[in-house]
Amino acid sequence: MEIIKFFEKGIGFWILLGAMIVILAIIAILIFRSSKRRYIGRILIPVFFIELALLFGILALSFPDRGDEVGPGVVPFLWIIGILGLSIFLLIRGLLGSEEEDPAWGSVLNVSLFIAMTILYLIFMQLIGYMISTFIYLVIGMYYLKYRNWKVMVAMATGWILFSYFAFYRLLYVPLPKGKLIEWIFG
Amino acid sequence: MELLTNLLQGFGYLAGIQPITAIVLGVILGILAGAMPGLSPSMGVALLVPFTYSLSPQIALILLVSIYIAANYGGSITAVTINTPGTPSAVVTSFDGYPLTLQGKAGVGLGTSLVASTVGGIIGTIILIFFSVPLARLAVRLHPAEYFALAVFGLTTVASLGGKNWPKAFLAAMLGLLINTIGIDPISGVKRFTFGTYRLFDGFSLIPALIGLFALSEVFSRIEENKLEKGLEASYEKTHWPHLLDYWKLRITILRSSILGTLIGIFPGAGATIASFLSYDLAKRTSKHPETFGKGNPEGVAAAEAANSSSVGGALVPLLALGIPGSATTAVLVGALMIHDIVPGPLLFVERPDMIYSLFAALLIANIVMLILGLFGARLWIKVTVIPKKILLPAILAISIIGSFSVSYSFFDVATCIGFGVIGWILKKYGYPGAPIVLGMVLGKLAETNFRRAVIMGGYQVFFTRPVSLVLLAIALLSFGVPLFQTYRETHKKKNSL
Repeated sequence: MEIIKFFEKGIGFWILLGAMIVILAIIAILIFRSSKRRYIGRILIPVFFIELALLFGILALSFPDRGDEVGPGVVPFLWIIGILGLSIFLLIRGLLGSEEEDPAWGSVLNVSLFIAMTILYLIFMQLIGYMISTFIYLVIGMYYLKYRNWKVMVAMATGWILFSYFAFYRLLYVPLPKGKLIEWIFG
Repeated sequence: MELLTNLLQGFGYLAGIQPITAIVLGVILGILAGAMPGLSPSMGVALLVPFTYSLSPQIALILLVSIYIAANYGGSITAVTINTPGTPSAVVTSFDGYPLTLQGKAGVGLGTSLVASTVGGIIGTIILIFFSVPLARLAVRLHPAEYFALAVFGLTTVASLGGKNWPKAFLAAMLGLLINTIGIDPISGVKRFTFGTYRLFDGFSLIPALIGLFALSEVFSRIEENKLEKGLEASYEKTHWPHLLDYWKLRITILRSSILGTLIGIFPGAGATIASFLSYDLAKRTSKHPETFGKGNPEGVAAAEAANSSSVGGALVPLLALGIPGSATTAVLVGALMIHDIVPGPLLFVERPDMIYSLFAALLIANIVMLILGLFGARLWIKVTVIPKKILLPAILAISIIGSFSVSYSFFDVATCIGFGVIGWILKKYGYPGAPIVLGMVLGKLAETNFRRAVIMGGYQVFFTRPVSLVLLAIALLSFGVPLFQTYRETHKKKNSL
């Protein structure tokens, strides 16, 4: 049980997560080099779920058994067994080619950049506050999606900021981040 | 007879500027709170409680229940127009509401959701008025085994939601159920799957997860597929609105869903989301065209909306008849009542009949006011669908982020929303639906706590020795098995014909 507790948090958890990713990557490479490469997504998703279920299953082994008939681990185990069973079923279907081939992917790069932009927006929100960062994010977001009417872009971003200020900050008392940098400069 | 006389007196009390203003204001605020992703009906009511301190108890209660009713409808507006359910129960509305918008029929989705909500709300109130006391007694007598059976029954909707993709739908539901076990165990207090971070002690919040799974996954899909050229509607002027005859065709679905929604609403802990899922499932199973569900069938919108609005009446049953809050919103209402020195329960019918019957009258009028305001508002809300996607998509992201942040003022919730958005986007691409994940997260707690309580009280055999539990589990087994068998038979037929 001590070894399981080691994997519950901190460095132990990261080791376990790293191992999961490495195994997934190895399986991905193997499939990519095989005749099943057109089913790579259909195979990798169940594999990921199996890994996830095993990870949760290992961690659930460490839950204390206090002599109850149904301890804290019983129900998670039920769901884990369900996930394992269904994932193995879907994995076999993928391996046998009973599933459709993988769908065509569009521009994953576009989405990745948009997500990265959103993460940057969240970081900047904590530094320069909700109002300024949201204005910049909305304008850049629309520009990124190839919208070019500047008047509409500025009006839209300003309108949203005014709405969120009055509706969320003033009426609903949502403490929108003011920004550490702004607070530091203006006190 | 006495009941009708009291009810008439209740209507009489509302004949004044103050009560009517409270209803209209409550409905407007409720619609706005419901439409805003991140603000649940309970949060909408809770936020307005401080404003009721200076009001009389009756006016305060009227204002708060008007918000409660309208918030349940409000959630459908963004679900239909931009696939961003404003409330958890509106997830089901988006199944057919959003496809209608994609087909240029947002008016049909909005009109159907409004009328079904109104009728559902009225039917729920009527059941509340006439049957509150016996129904409440029945609900609180149920054993945990029966609540567990109810949760299992709710889970079987996945079988018909998934169709031929049922293994993926079930896997998604199992994932939702497993996600629900993250956090401090409600029975033993043991930390489960928290990975050493205190932020996971309460598990993942439902609202950021559902915003991510529905709104963000859709935004990411659109960007990935580069479908950014037009707005969702071809033209606002050409929008098709349903005629009276269209609503009339939905009467059976609305009536059945309203009754089911009210009954589900009565069970403490069940609520509007489960009511919507079950009603949608029932509507699909009994429809002559089940294959059109999920592709823009107004019947699906009507079933979901009638059920979630009628569940308000149901949730008020144990509150008013027994003083037991059955949902988060009714718990907030108890708090609000106590501020005004009113203790809800059976004595209230004897001591303050004026308050009870004016509340019943207010519930009925609030639904009518919601219909009128909704009809005017729908013409405004539909304009959202003509906004070019290049503007709309960043705006949806901004709404999602502020909506997730508003749940508990935490960036962790925002990160959860984005994480679920990415997961939803990838899973959707491979045919794994997002709705069962939400269903699993909603039903997880109800299923687990009642399963464990039942076993502690009567061992594992308890589920088969109690008649109600046994019947519910048997129905669940049939509900699970029949669609799977039908899917198997259809696939087999197709294979044979080839």
